[in-house]
Amino acid sequence: MRRFGERAALDGLDLRVGEGEFVLVTGPNGAGKTTLLRVLATVLRPSAGDVRVGGHELPRAAHRARPLVGYVAHGPLTYPGLTARENLELYAALYGVPDGLVGRALDRVGLDARGGDLVAEFSRGMAQRLALARACLHAPALLLLDEPTAGLDADGRDLLREVLAEPGRTVIVSTHEPGWFAGLATTEVPIRDGRVAA
Amino acid sequence: MNTTSGARLDRATSAALVAAVLMPVALGLIFFYVPNDVDQGFSQRIFYFHVPIAMTTYALFAWGALNAARYLWTGDMGLDLRSYVPMHLGVIFGTLTLVTGSIWAKVSWGTWWYWGSTELNTFLIIFLFYCAYFMLRFSVEPGERRARYSAVYALLGVGLIPISVLAVHLGQDVIHPVTFTDRGANMDGTMLFTFLMALAAMLSLAVAMYLVELRGKRLDEQVTRLRRLAEGTR
Amino acid sequence: MSRRALVALVRKDLVLELRGSEVVLAMVAFVVASFVLFRFGLGGGRPAGGTRAATGMLWVAIVFTAMLALTRSFAREREHGIWDGLLAAPIDRALLWLARACSTCIFLVAVQVVALPAFWLFFLQDGPAPDYGVLVAAVLLADVGIAALGSLVAGLASAGRAREVLLPVLFLPFAIPLVLGAVSATTGTISPQTSGLHTLERLGYLGLYDTVFVLFGWGLFEFVVED
Repeated sequence: MRRFGERAALDGLDLRVGEGEFVLVTGPNGAGKTTLLRVLATVLRPSAGDVRVGGHELPRAAHRARPLVGYVAHGPLTYPGLTARENLELYAALYGVPDGLVGRALDRVGLDARGGDLVAEFSRGMAQRLALARACLHAPALLLLDEPTAGLDADGRDLLREVLAEPGRTVIVSTHEPGWFAGLATTEVPIRDGRVAA
Repeated sequence: MNTTSGARLDRATSAALVAAVLMPVALGLIFFYVPNDVDQGFSQRIFYFHVPIAMTTYALFAWGALNAARYLWTGDMGLDLRSYVPMHLGVIFGTLTLVTGSIWAKVSWGTWWYWGSTELNTFLIIFLFYCAYFMLRFSVEPGERRARYSAVYALLGVGLIPISVLAVHLGQDVIHPVTFTDRGANMDGTMLFTFLMALAAMLSLAVAMYLVELRGKRLDEQVTRLRRLAEGTR
Repeated sequence: MSRRALVALVRKDLVLELRGSEVVLAMVAFVVASFVLFRFGLGGGRPAGGTRAATGMLWVAIVFTAMLALTRSFAREREHGIWDGLLAAPIDRALLWLARACSTCIFLVAVQVVALPAFWLFFLQDGPAPDYGVLVAAVLLADVGIAALGSLVAGLASAGRAREVLLPVLFLPFAIPLVLGAVSATTGTISPQTSGLHTLERLGYLGLYDTVFVLFGWGLFEFVVED
């Protein structure tokens, strides 16, 4: 459970996601979708309740959970003043991943030709692709995506679908368009006011 | 936590009673019992206010910092309050320390602020620090984040106090060219007794104020919570 | 691994500063302008206290200039919402503080490379000279303290409603003992009767100041970044 001041953003949310599952989290704005993902990405400390990622209890064992998680947030989480390659090299250093993987990650999202360009010059769609490359750089076992389809062009959507279809990963997506994920998702969890809606 | 005892004496009331007894006793000793100082005469009696108040201020800051550390360790919001309230009282007692110190400086050295006194200079730095604590406290939204930030800043004071004492001693030649060294540490029995009584009175007053304010703040929180519940059910 | 992360974080700050130059140039302009202000504010002549008063001004200027760098620390991460990316990474959060303190320290030194010669030009060239070795040592030691403590306090101030106002209020009480120690170290070398021991003792004090607040920064920063 996560409280903001006196009001709980997530209250009595009980959710268990098994390995290899693909979960869609849906619900109206302000239902707590982003909060849930931020707690799971270990950037928001749960103030009460029992949260585990890969069996590691948050926030106490967050340092063990972090290498397992890849997080695609609303924003791209990249520095506009750095090039795409420099951004990924920074994250490679933070995650302890060899620099050699950066080229491959750029390639995977179709940005290999633009690796030397500043992110400030990128379109929203390109920044989203870079965000995907960044989140997948360290081959996380759990991928968290917050509204990944927003602002993505048709090519980007195809790419996203391709990446998400790769096996051997647990995926949790928050989205407004659950229909688009048909065929990928195994479960849909509607939440409302910080609880799983019955 | 028992806050609503009726006939039985709770802690806040009993501390207030102790203070109410000790304070007149201390005042009586200061004004009628202890003899005039040989050098400084009657006015030297400000010493029995200034030093106990200064010590009480430091004690309050220490209690606040200790609870800040305990808060960071446990995350218990009750400790946040127990860290904030002594800081708050500490600033009040700190203001009194500066005022009485200034009077004492006027009495002993003829100026309202004596830059040659290492104690006054150190206290000034620390007082500024605790005022800054309030600026931080008031500009962050209430909640866990404010509790955490206040606690971190309060703990920085634990580093600042010894650092300032040292700086003021090392830099005394810069602040004030002539250093003043002799300090009346050799009190006779009468003076020591009066001083200790004054200290006990000040400390018990601080404890009483602390417990009363803590109770008030807790009631505040309960009222807010109840109001929120009432709004929720409407 | 953490060494590589630290280097990458510091290099990132330096690359961004070299490309956009947000902080260093502004600081240089600020510090030189404040020397001019001091010079003219004191009636165009040398300050009454001579070299002693002049070094005092240098320290005040250094502290106020450092404020500019500190207000901008973490500004980029906040404005572009990059914090979550750094916080999700499997590194010790204290490393984020250490990286910021290192790059702030580098910025301060870069500014002082210009500021100290300018200071000499404005105030020292026609008077008794201080011991320049001690002056530089004191400046470097003070930089470490300002950067270490400032990066922690900048994190605290960033939560406030008026963070640009809050930061100096939170930082300046800590600057008083720093400036006091630094002035005492540098003016000691002007008057001939003070011994080398006096200076060494005061430089040692600055080292102690650095140690204390590096430890506090390292230990407490994780409480500042948790949302």
